[in-house]
Amino acid sequence: MKEIKDKMIAQIKAVFPEAVNKDYDGNRLDLTVNKEAVPSVLLYLKDSMGFRHLSHIAYVDWIEQGEFELVYILWSPLDKVKLYVHTRINRENPVIENIDMIWRQANTYEREIREMLGIEFTGLVAPDEFILEDWDDIPPFRKDFDTLEYVNRTFWHRPGREDAQDVRSTISERSGEEIPDFAKKYSR
Amino acid sequence: MYNDKNSKKIVETIQNWARSHSIWVLAYGTGCGAIEISPTMTSRYDAERLGFRGAATPRQADVMLITGYLTVKTVKRVVRVYEQMQSPKYVVGFGSCTINGGMYYDSYNTINLLDRYLPVDVYINGCMPRPEAVLAGLSKLQQIIREGNANGAEKYLENLAWYKENQRKIAPNWIAKAPDLNW
Repeated sequence: MKEIKDKMIAQIKAVFPEAVNKDYDGNRLDLTVNKEAVPSVLLYLKDSMGFRHLSHIAYVDWIEQGEFELVYILWSPLDKVKLYVHTRINRENPVIENIDMIWRQANTYEREIREMLGIEFTGLVAPDEFILEDWDDIPPFRKDFDTLEYVNRTFWHRPGREDAQDVRSTISERSGEEIPDFAKKYSR
Repeated sequence: MYNDKNSKKIVETIQNWARSHSIWVLAYGTGCGAIEISPTMTSRYDAERLGFRGAATPRQADVMLITGYLTVKTVKRVVRVYEQMQSPKYVVGFGSCTINGGMYYDSYNTINLLDRYLPVDVYINGCMPRPEAVLAGLSKLQQIIREGNANGAEKYLENLAWYKENQRKIAPNWIAKAPDLNW
């Protein structure tokens, strides 16, 4: 497996010198590329290196760094290697090339990402609504979307939940444990 | 003959007694509660001995059993199914998700209070309620029907504007296009 991966890295680096790779144990291989290079990298991986299957497009919201991250997860059935192609997009103007001409199933993933994270895919042909209907707020999977505030605005609460015990603080008081700062904001 | 008050009362009593013993349940299986319906209906708990049985379509059903959380998208379908049902019709909210949102109380796409969108006759609490609780809740519904107090359908018609306003709040474009009670 190690030789196969080393050979793959050498081949990718020969064609795309700016790609950054990170190695993991087992059959996993990670690659970070610019967003402009994504279609050409993926097309090269599919046509010349045997990564024929697109398993998933994962998405992460790095709100502190002002970026979105897309992860294209590829699988090579011949070499049994998983390849994760990472790319970062600016959060202010999230636009990236769509890749559904390379894999047709990418169309579905891109529709979901467009709706849940608000990333625009240039040239994506698909109906506007996918999962959400009548949505008129910011995309709900962005980290700056406050679900509880939205619920207070849209739905109603039945009284009785206010005096429920906060499990975290109750247990820490009982055992004299210090709550870390990052956990305090989740306490009621 | 049926116009005087006493005869009407007698007829209604007999009707309610009959209705309470032939409850056809439309299990609207959202969320995780649908898994409790199968043991309730099959040989382990055998709900049919008490007069409950499944209905194939909304138009044949008396009770709609809403078994769990409802997303904004499912509320639209539930309202449509409810309006298709023939009166007398009853709604049973099943599980804490229909009562106060349950563990999804702060989710952006699940409703919290079912009785703002549909008239609920009986709530069964629990997460999830066991089949015994389901049978107890449906028996309570039988009792309410026999007493003549299960008037959710009339309540829905009387307060239609209020219910429609609440439904419109979460589904503005859909309610505008939908016909009123005339599917």
